[in-house]
Amino acid sequence: MAAPVNSSSGCWRVPEVYKHHEQRRVCISRPKYREGRKAKAVKVYTINLESRYLMVQGVPAIGVMTELIQLCALYGAVEEYRPLDEYPAEEFTEVYLVKFQKLTSARAAKRHMDEKSFYGGVLHVCYVPEYETVEDTRLKLQDRRSYVIRAAQKRVREREQKEDTQEEPSSSETTTMSDDNILTHKQTSGNDNTRETSNVSHYLGFPPLPLPPQEHHHRPKSQHLLTEDKMGTLHNTCAGTLEQREGSSRSKQTLSSRQAAHQAAAVRFLPRTTHLEKRKRKMEEAEEPSSTVSGQNEPLIGPKLPEPSKLDMEDESLNTTVNLIRNTMKQVTSSPDIKPVEKKVKPRRRI
Amino acid sequence: MMWRSGSSGGSDRFEYLQTLVTEFQDTDSDEAKEQVLANLANFAYDPKNVEYLRELQVTDLFLDMLTEENENFVEFGMGGLCNLSMDPECRDVVLQSDGIRLVTNCLSSRSEETVLSAITTLMNLLTPVSRSQITDPAILQCMLRFSLSESPRLRNLATVFLQDSCSEEQVAQAQQQMEGQQTAVGIPLPKD
Repeated sequence: MAAPVNSSSGCWRVPEVYKHHEQRRVCISRPKYREGRKAKAVKVYTINLESRYLMVQGVPAIGVMTELIQLCALYGAVEEYRPLDEYPAEEFTEVYLVKFQKLTSARAAKRHMDEKSFYGGVLHVCYVPEYETVEDTRLKLQDRRSYVIRAAQKRVREREQKEDTQEEPSSSETTTMSDDNILTHKQTSGNDNTRETSNVSHYLGFPPLPLPPQEHHHRPKSQHLLTEDKMGTLHNTCAGTLEQREGSSRSKQTLSSRQAAHQAAAVRFLPRTTHLEKRKRKMEEAEEPSSTVSGQNEPLIGPKLPEPSKLDMEDESLNTTVNLIRNTMKQVTSSPDIKPVEKKVKPRRRI
Repeated sequence: MMWRSGSSGGSDRFEYLQTLVTEFQDTDSDEAKEQVLANLANFAYDPKNVEYLRELQVTDLFLDMLTEENENFVEFGMGGLCNLSMDPECRDVVLQSDGIRLVTNCLSSRSEETVLSAITTLMNLLTPVSRSQITDPAILQCMLRFSLSESPRLRNLATVFLQDSCSEEQVAQAQQQMEGQQTAVGIPLPKD
C-alpha cells in the first residue's frame, strides 16, 4: 500500500507545476460561425477546475504587489495573498497566489485579468484548485450544486406557471412552494447538505412534467408546450393554432424562409375554411331527406329540390357571396346546353 | 451567417446549440469534433442551457463519448457530463442510460481531468435509489486509493466522496477488504 502523503495544512506548501496551469495554444481552425470574439484554446471548464484560488504570473518585479491586489479587489473581496517565490517564473517577473472570498469573484478576475497588460508585463491568470483544503472543495461543490438546483427549480416553476395560465390552476404550485421551504431550510445546515439536497432534489424531480416526444425536439421547449396544450383544444380555438404554427414557422425560418412564409400564409386562411366547412356540413344535414346530395358549388342535376332555407352565414360578406352564388346557379341551370370544354391539341415539339 | 454568441434570446441560443450538434454529427474531422465537444461541454456549465442541451440529447452524446478511443473525446465528454449531471433532470437521464457503469469505467483513465470529472459525476448521481450501486465496495476502495494520491485535487475529491456518500462503517469495511487482499488488483492511479 502506498505510504500516506504528509498533508501539510493550507496553501503554504511547495507548489508544483501542473498541466492545467499551462497556457494552451489558441485554436485557429474554428469555422466562422463558432469563432468567438476572442481566440481561445480548446479546454473544458468544470467545477473541479475552477477555484477561489488564482495564480497570477508575469507580474513585473518592480514592487507592484499592492497595485496587483488592488486590481484583484475590483472583482471581489480578497481573503489572502502571497508571492509564490518557489514557483518557476520568467526573468524579472513574479508569481502571486490570490485567494478570493467567492468563486464568482475569482471567475470574474480571471476573465478580466488574463492576458491583460500590467505595468509593462502581460499577466497570465489561472485557477489553482490544488491549493484548496478538503473543506474548500466540499463547500465549492455544495455551492455549485445548490446554484444549479435553484436554477432548475426556477425553470420548473416557470414551466408550471405557464401551464397554469393556460389550464385551470393546479396544486403543483403549492408543492413547489413547500419544496422551496425545504430546500432553504436544508441550505442552512452544514455538511449534510450534499446528501440532503440530493434527496430533496430527487423528490423535487418527482412531480415530473413529461418531456415532449423526441420528434419535436427541434422546437424550443416553451413553444412545444403550447403545441401540446393546444392539441386538446384545437377544434375550439383556431387562433391558438395560428399562434403555434406561426411560432414554429419562425423557428424554421433559418432552414427555408420561403417555406416558412408559405406555411404562415397558408395558415392564415384556416379559420375561414373551418367555418365554411362547418356550414357545409350543416347544410348537408338539412338536405338529407332529398334523393340527390349536392353542395352549393355543384350544378343542379335531376329534379329540382324544394327551395333550401335561406341560411344566414352570420357574416355580411359571406351572405353576399352566398346570394351571388345562388343567383348564378339559377342562371346556369336555366340554360340547358353545357358546352364541353375542348382541348386544344398543340403539336408537340420534337427535341 | 452571423451568430450573436452573447445573445440572450432563447430560440437563438437553441438554434446555435443545434447547429453545433449537427456539425459534430456530420463532420469527419476529429479536430472539429473535439472543438465542438468542448464547446458543448462548456455550454453545459451554464444552467440556462441545460434544458436545450437535454432536448438535443446532448446528455446521450456525452455518454457515447465515454467509450471512444480518442482520449480527448472521453475527457471532454466526461467534463460535459460532470457539468450536466448536477441538474436533477439530466441526472435522471444519465441514470436511466446505465450511466453509473460508464462513468465508473472512467475512474481508470490516465487523464487526471477525466478521473476528477468522473468522481464528481458519481457524487452528482447519488440518489436514494442509486446509492447502493455508487457505494459499491469496489468503488469505495478505488476512492480510498485516490485519497492517498500525491495529487491534492484527487486526494481532496476522493475524500469528499468518501465522507459524503457513505457511512464511516462502509469506508472502514472497504479498507479492511483492501488490506486483506493478496493481490493488488485494482484501478491504477492516473499518470499525470
